[in-house]
Amino acid sequence: MIRFDQVSKRYATGQEALSGLSFQVEPGEMVFVTGHSGAGKSTLLKLLAMIERPTRGTVTVDGRNLSTARAGSIPRLRRKLGMVFQDHRLLMDRSVFANVALPLVIAGIAPAERARRVRAALEKVGLLSYEKQAPAMLSTGEQQRVGIARAIVAKPPLIIADEPTGNLDPQLAAEIMGLFDALQNVGTTVLVASHDLMLIKRTRKRVLVLDHGRLVDDVPATEVRS
Amino acid sequence: MARVAREPATSRTRPRRVAAWGEQHAWGLVASLRRLGGRPLGTLLTVTVMGFALALPLTFALLLGNLQRLGTALGQTQAISVFMKVDGHAADAKALADSLRDRKEVAAVDVRTPKQGMAELATMQGFSDALKSLDYNPLPYVVVIRPVAHIDAGEAAKLIAWLRTQPGVDQVQDDGAWRQRLDALLAVGTRAVLLLAVLLAIAALLVVGNSVRLDIQGRSDEIGVLRLVGASPSFVRRPYLYAGLWYGLAGGVVATVLTLLLEWALSAPVARLAASYGGRLDFGGLPWALLALVPVLAAALGWLGARLVCARQLRRPE
Ligand SMILES: Nc1ncnc2c1ncn2[C@@H]1O[C@H](COP(=O)(O)OP(=O)(O)OP(=O)(O)O)[C@@H](O)[C@H]1O
Ligand SMILES: [Mg+2]
Repeated sequence: MIRFDQVSKRYATGQEALSGLSFQVEPGEMVFVTGHSGAGKSTLLKLLAMIERPTRGTVTVDGRNLSTARAGSIPRLRRKLGMVFQDHRLLMDRSVFANVALPLVIAGIAPAERARRVRAALEKVGLLSYEKQAPAMLSTGEQQRVGIARAIVAKPPLIIADEPTGNLDPQLAAEIMGLFDALQNVGTTVLVASHDLMLIKRTRKRVLVLDHGRLVDDVPATEVRS
Repeated sequence: MARVAREPATSRTRPRRVAAWGEQHAWGLVASLRRLGGRPLGTLLTVTVMGFALALPLTFALLLGNLQRLGTALGQTQAISVFMKVDGHAADAKALADSLRDRKEVAAVDVRTPKQGMAELATMQGFSDALKSLDYNPLPYVVVIRPVAHIDAGEAAKLIAWLRTQPGVDQVQDDGAWRQRLDALLAVGTRAVLLLAVLLAIAALLVVGNSVRLDIQGRSDEIGVLRLVGASPSFVRRPYLYAGLWYGLAGGVVATVLTLLLEWALSAPVARLAASYGGRLDFGGLPWALLALVPVLAAALGWLGARLVCARQLRRPE
């Protein structure tokens, strides 16, 4: 599903965020990316979302080389991707419902079907009763869950989440991980950037460890110990 | 990928694609109204400025149109007066009148005797006393010619030249000459109004463009989110195009209302002026079709302004 081949990313500032990164993720796999702050976790996800382009190497998603994708095809590629951002990125002047519905409007889903799916997604993150609220009225953790609902609502084959549990208590964080796990079971590939080691250990999935932009460890799920 | 459980293919059928298109437009439309509502003062200012800019050429067109009507109304009385020599014979005037009646460019001929002229003058205020002191009639025979309604300038000139060569003729006065000068002036005026309309339309375009640019800059976060969830460029652009359309439409409506107000304000004084010309003249507003067309054209203008700005401001993400 995902293949990084000798990928390096150097920002315009000269900062080398990723260097010589190579790994592969199978379809339907759930993988954590961890490492210290500034290790390059967000950068790795940004390459997948085509927010940034690699300086060297190739990123392949679903058999498609993102480095050679034309700018015009980016929207279509992003529709196959559910993204949870470190900073939520919600439309603050629209309701929770409208925020979650957005990917479905873009995909051209019929209103009745759309409402059904939005409610199903909100229910999964435990926010069904908040659908009419404005995101600004919600707590940070609740906003983060709205962002998660928006990422899963269109049922994309790949979900990438940047610190999706950063503002959640352990109980809620575990529930969200359970949600991702359930998605994985229906064949969705999930990539989660997190430095919450407790959570990673409890969830027991494969872990990629970054250190100063280098892949220093790739721990299979079976070897993750609580 | 093959293992991904897909929903039934909801976005594939043709009716659904058409409906989805409508829903996405509705989304953009609602979003555009939020844009306008989000900056009420700026919106009001944009609409007002645009309204005034478009009302200006309309006002000039209105004035020009009425000047034209005035010319036409007064032109119906245009006449050529042939003053015979004071010491001439009545027979000269009669002969001239008879030969004129046969010409096809002449509609009517009237011979006024010095006596008639004196009687006419006597009815005018201030003249009656002065005339009493005269012991002879100083007025000549006058042959008044009314040309056919649509005589052209060349024919009129030829007729006048011919009149000057006739025996007993002292002076020929063409009351219609000012008509030709007015027509020429109106042609210049029409050209000027068209030019003004083009210039002010460009100004309106820039005003809308600038507002849309501000809208886009104030919404950069939202634009970023839309792009990240896979919105196409036309989806991202649509709210701003609609906003431009609304700006233009509202500006056009303001321009139409302003013009109608002006027509209403002018109609009373012009009616009084008309009365002094014997009521042959009445005030004419701009044609309804033009007034109805103004908001439509303004909306198109607003859309175009927004489109140009979007092409620049939304060119490349990141
Ligand atoms: N847009 C940018 N321009 C320049 N440098 C950047 C940019 N984004 C990130 N960097 C740098 O690249 C490195 C990796 O950043 P990144 O955001 O990927 O780290 P991270 O692992 O997500 O950290 P955190 O856990 O704090 O979110 C950092 O040193 C950062 O300063
Ligand atoms: Mg980060």
